[in-house]
Amino acid sequence: MRRHRRGIAAGMFIGLVWTIAKVVVPILIQRSIDDGIRGDDSLLGWAFAIAAVGVVSGIATGARRYVAFQNARAVEADFRDQVFTHAQRLHFGFHDRHQTGQLMSRGNTDLQQFQNFITMLPITFANLLTVVLASIVLFARDWQLALAALAGLPLANYFGRKFSQNLHPALTAIQEESAQLASVVEETVAGVRVVKGFGAEQLRFDALAVEADDVRDASLRAARARANFIPALEVVPNIGLIAVLAFGGHKVLDGDLEVGELVLFNIYVVLLIQPLRMLGMIVANFQRATAAGARIAALLDTPIEITSPSSPTPLPQGGDDDSRSIGRIRFKDVDFAYDPTNPVLDGFDLAIEAGESVAIVGATGSGKSTVARLLPRFYDVDAGSILVDGVDVAEADLEELRRAIGLVFEETFLFAASIRDNISFGVPGADLATVERAARLAGAAEFIEQLADGYDTVIGERGFSLSGGQRQRLAIARAIATDPRVLVLDDATSAVDPTKEHEIRDALQEVMHRRTTIVIAHRPATIALADRVVLVDGGRVAAQGTHDELLASSELYREVLAHDDTELPSEDGAP
Amino acid sequence: MAGWMAAGVDADDRLDFDAARHVLRSTARRMRPYRGTAVGAVALLMIWTALLVVLPVLFGRAVDAIDSGNREVLNRTIVVYIAITVVNYFLWRAAIIGISRTGEAFLRDLRRTVFSHLLRLSMPYFDREKAGVIVSRMTSDIDSLAEVVQFGLQMFVANALLLGAVAVVLAVLSWQLFVVCLVSIPLIYVASRKFRRDANAAYLQVRDGIGSMLSRLQEGLAGVRVIQAYARTDIEAERFHDVNHDLFQSHMKSTRVAAWYLPIIDMSGVGTTALAIAVGGWMARDGQLSIGTVVAFILLLQNLFEPVQQLSQLFNMIQSAGASLHKLYELLEEPVEVAESSEPVVLSGRGVVEVSGVGFAYNDGVSVLADVDLCIAEGERLALVGPTGAGKSTLAKLIARLYDPTEGNISYNGTDLRDASLESLRKRVVAVPQEGHLFDGTVRDNIRVAKADATDDEIVAALKRIGVLERFEGLPDGIETEVRERGSRLSAGERQLVSLARAAIVDPGVLILDEATSSLDPGTESIVEGAMEALMANRTTIVIAHRLTTASRCDRIGVVDGGRLVELGSHEELMNLDGAYASLFSTWIGAQNPT
Repeated sequence: MRRHRRGIAAGMFIGLVWTIAKVVVPILIQRSIDDGIRGDDSLLGWAFAIAAVGVVSGIATGARRYVAFQNARAVEADFRDQVFTHAQRLHFGFHDRHQTGQLMSRGNTDLQQFQNFITMLPITFANLLTVVLASIVLFARDWQLALAALAGLPLANYFGRKFSQNLHPALTAIQEESAQLASVVEETVAGVRVVKGFGAEQLRFDALAVEADDVRDASLRAARARANFIPALEVVPNIGLIAVLAFGGHKVLDGDLEVGELVLFNIYVVLLIQPLRMLGMIVANFQRATAAGARIAALLDTPIEITSPSSPTPLPQGGDDDSRSIGRIRFKDVDFAYDPTNPVLDGFDLAIEAGESVAIVGATGSGKSTVARLLPRFYDVDAGSILVDGVDVAEADLEELRRAIGLVFEETFLFAASIRDNISFGVPGADLATVERAARLAGAAEFIEQLADGYDTVIGERGFSLSGGQRQRLAIARAIATDPRVLVLDDATSAVDPTKEHEIRDALQEVMHRRTTIVIAHRPATIALADRVVLVDGGRVAAQGTHDELLASSELYREVLAHDDTELPSEDGAP
Repeated sequence: MAGWMAAGVDADDRLDFDAARHVLRSTARRMRPYRGTAVGAVALLMIWTALLVVLPVLFGRAVDAIDSGNREVLNRTIVVYIAITVVNYFLWRAAIIGISRTGEAFLRDLRRTVFSHLLRLSMPYFDREKAGVIVSRMTSDIDSLAEVVQFGLQMFVANALLLGAVAVVLAVLSWQLFVVCLVSIPLIYVASRKFRRDANAAYLQVRDGIGSMLSRLQEGLAGVRVIQAYARTDIEAERFHDVNHDLFQSHMKSTRVAAWYLPIIDMSGVGTTALAIAVGGWMARDGQLSIGTVVAFILLLQNLFEPVQQLSQLFNMIQSAGASLHKLYELLEEPVEVAESSEPVVLSGRGVVEVSGVGFAYNDGVSVLADVDLCIAEGERLALVGPTGAGKSTLAKLIARLYDPTEGNISYNGTDLRDASLESLRKRVVAVPQEGHLFDGTVRDNIRVAKADATDDEIVAALKRIGVLERFEGLPDGIETEVRERGSRLSAGERQLVSLARAAIVDPGVLILDEATSSLDPGTESIVEGAMEALMANRTTIVIAHRLTTASRCDRIGVVDGGRLVELGSHEELMNLDGAYASLFSTWIGAQNPT
C-alpha cells in the first residue's frame, strides 16, 4: 500500500479542486441572478466566470475519476500478483486443505471488493468535503433556511446505506442461483450421452425449471430492494426543495432573502444528494471490503512450511556419462501422516541403488503413492529421513532437488499451451530435438505427428482434447525431457489403452536404462519393467524381490494382483 | 460514478438492420403473455417522467409568484409540488416492480424454452458445437439480458423519456432560449459517438484481459503441484505478472475513455447554463421572459446532461443484449435431427437387432460407416473390435439411435428404429457410456436418471442384481451419499458402477457396453467385471471391446476397420480364418507378456 501513497495524495488534491469548483458554480449562478439579471452587473462577466469554473470542474471530474481508478487498479494488480506468487510457493499440505475455487475467489471477487472500496476512497473524501463546504455556505447565508433545507438530507445517507445492505445479499443470491443454474446446464451438456442414452430429458428439464424459478425469485428480491429505495432516494431532495420553497419563498417575500439565493439553495440540495448517497453506500461497502481484505491478508500471512534451507548442501554430480553413478535413494525409517490420527508411513525403510528400477506395489491406501510424494519433499517426514545421493532432502536446495526428480503424477495435469511447451515445461527454451526425443521415449511421438499442427497443437480447455492415455504419455514426456536423475511414475499408464501400452513400455526401457526409476503400478506387465518389486503394506515394506519370487512367496502380493484382466484367458484352448 | 455500466459487443456479433428487426419481432412475440404488465409499466414510466420535468417548472412558477409578491400562488404551487412528489414516488416504485416482473418472467420462460430445445436437439448437434459455446448460450448470453432487465431497460427508457420531455418543456418555455442552448449539441453528438466506440473497444479488451487473467490464475492454482514439482514457481509468477499487468493496462485504457468523455459532458452542461444566464438574463431584463422562466431553464439544464451520458453507456449494453438475443433465437431455430415419428410405435420385449445396409456420414460428407449388415440374435453376446476411429462406436450409437443412419436401416424386433417412440426405445436399447457421468445429487438420484419413477426398493433390487449393493451401502451415507460435483467423491470404478446400475434398473432388451480403457485398482476392477457379467446374462449385448481377452469370451466378434465390418464370427472361427482378428489377437497377447 505504501508505494501507492503518492497517488492517493494526488487524488485528494484533485478532489479538493473538484469540490471547490462544484461549490462555487451555484454561488456564481446566484450572483448572476441577483446582481446580473435583477441588478445592473454585466451578465456577460458572470456568464464567463461560470463557464471558466465549469471548465475547471469538468477537468477535475475527469481527473478525479482517473486518479481514483488508477490507484485502485494498481493496488488490485499488486495484490493479485502477491496472492498468486504466495499461493504458488505454499506447500502441498496447504493446497490439500484448500480448494482451487476458494483460492480463486481470493484473487478474484475478494480483490474486486477491495478495489471497489479503494476507488471510492478519494471520491469519498471529495464528497465529504462537498457536504461540509456547501453546508457552511448555506448556514452562512441563512442558518434557519439551511437547517430546513438540509434537515431531510441525512435520509439520503440512511437510505443509501440501507439500499446497499438490502441489495447486496440479493445480488449475491442471484449470483449463487445463476451458478447453480449454470452447473445444471454444464452437467447436462457434459453428460448429454447419458441424458440421451437413458431418455432423461424430462428429469434434466425439471432440474433446470427449479433453478430458473430460483433465479427469477432472487432477481425479484433485488428488484424489490430497488423499488423500495430508488424512488425513496428520489424523494429526499424534494423534501429539501419543498422546505426551501415554503420557508425560503416567504422569506423572499418578506425581503429577508434574494431570489438568486433561493436558486442557490435549490441547486445545493440537488448537488448534495449524490455525495450523501455514496457516503451511505461506502459505509456498507466498508464492512464487505474489510472482510475481503482480511481473507486476502490471511492467505498472504500463511507461512510457507517447505522452503530451501539457508545454506543448502549441493547434490553430488555424476561421473562420466557412461556409468551413471548418481540417483542413489535411501528412505530411513520414515514415519509420515497427512493427518496425525491416521499414520500413512510407519517405519518405511528402503534403499535403492543408483540406476536401479523398483516397482512399488500395494493395496489402495497402503502408502505407495506417499512414498513418491515425499521424495521431492512435497511434504516433510514426521520422523526418519530421506537421502538422495547421501544428501538429506531437507538439507538440499528445493529447486535443485525437484529438478533432480522427475515425478509423473497419477492424475495428469497439462497446461493450456502447445504440446511442445507442455513437454518442455521443466526445461524452458528446450530445442525441438529434445522435445521430440522425450515424446518418442514416452511413446507419444506417433500420435503427436499425426495431429495437423504436430508439436504446435494447442491443448486444453479451448484447444484440442486428447484421450486420457495420450495425456498421460505427454506427462511422461514432460518428465523425461528434464533428464532427471530419478524418475518416478505414479500409476502413470493407467489410462493408456491396453493395446498401446506395450509401445510405451518398450520406449520406457530405454529411459530407464541406467536411471534410477520408481514405478508405482498394479498391472503385472508394468511391474515387470522393474528390476525389483517392493510390496508395501501398513506403511512399511512387507516383502521384496523379483515379480516371480514374490508371486511364489507372498500371499498378500498374489491378493493385490489377483484381479487383473491382462491375465490370459483360461487354459481351455486359447493359444 | 461507482456504477459504471460496462458492456460491449464484438464487431462480428453486431446486428445489421434485418437481424435487429428479426430480434425485435421475435421478442415482441415472446412478450405477448406479459403485454399488459409491460405496457402498464411503460405508461407509468411516461407519466413519471412528465411529472418529473414539471417540478423545475413549478419551481420557476414559484419564483415568479415570489417576484410578483403573490403569496397565494406560491402556496398553491407548493401544495402541487408536494402532491407530485408523493405521486411520483408511487409511480416510480410501481414502474420498477412492473418492469422487473415482466422482464424476469420473460427471462425465466426464455431459459426454459432454450433449455428444453437443447434437450430435444440430437447428438450430431452436440458433436458439432463445443460444449463451452452451448453452455454460454444458457449462461453468459442470458445473463447479459438479465443485466438489461434488472436496470438497463428501465434506465434506458427513463433517460430517453426524460431527455425528450426536458427538451419539449424547454422549447415550450422559450423556444428562442432553447435554440440558443442547443449550441453544444454537435460537440456532444460527436463526443458521444466516439465515446461509444472507444468504450466498446475498451470493454472488449478488458473482458478478454479478465478472461486471460482468470484462466492463468485458475491454471496456476489447479496445476500448482506440477509447477512445484518442476521448480517453475518463479517463471509462473512472472507469466502471471504479465497477464495481470496487461489487464491493468486495459483497465486504464477504459478509464481514460471515461476520463475525457465525462469532462466534455460536464463542461457542456455548465457552459450551456452560463449561456442560458447570459442570453436568458438579457431577455429577462428586456422583459421578454420572466425571471422564473430563466430559473426553470437553469434547473432543467442540470437534468439534461446526465441522461445524455447515461444513454451513451446504456447504448452499448442494449446492443450487446440484442446480439445475445439473436444467438438465442438462432439456437431455437436449430432443427431436431433425430426426431420422433409422427405415429410412434411402442417397442417391447427382448430384442433381435437387424442392421441392414447401414452407412453413416457426417454432415461434411466424411463417411464413417458403409454397407454394414448384421443380425444379432436374442440373448447373443457380440463384441465389436478394431482400431480407434474405425467406426465401432458409431455403429453402437446408430443401434441406440443416438444418430440416424444416412443409408440403410436398423430394426428392433422388426420395427425400424425411426418409427419407434423415443421413450420406449430408450427403455429397450440402452448404451452405457465408458465412464459414468454423474450429476449433482445422491447416488440414488443418479441411478434414478435412468428411470425417474423408480422406487427405493427397485433401486436396491437393481444394485443387488448386479452384486454391487454392498459397495454402495459401504459409503458414508449409503446410497444417500452426495456424489458432489462431477462425482469427485466417488472413485472412477464406483462411477462406472453407478452407470451399470442405471442400465440394470431399466432392464433393457439390448445392452450396449463400451468397455473402459483405463485400468482401475484390481479390487474394484473385479467388482466392475462382475457387475457387467450379471448385466449381460441372458441379454442381447453388444460390447465395444478394447481388451481382446474380453472379446474372446463373446459368442461372436465383429471386426470393424475403415468403416466396414470386415470379419464376423466366433473367436475360434476368426482365429482359424487367420485374418485381421488373428493378427490383432497375437499382437495383443504378445504385448501383455513381455519377456
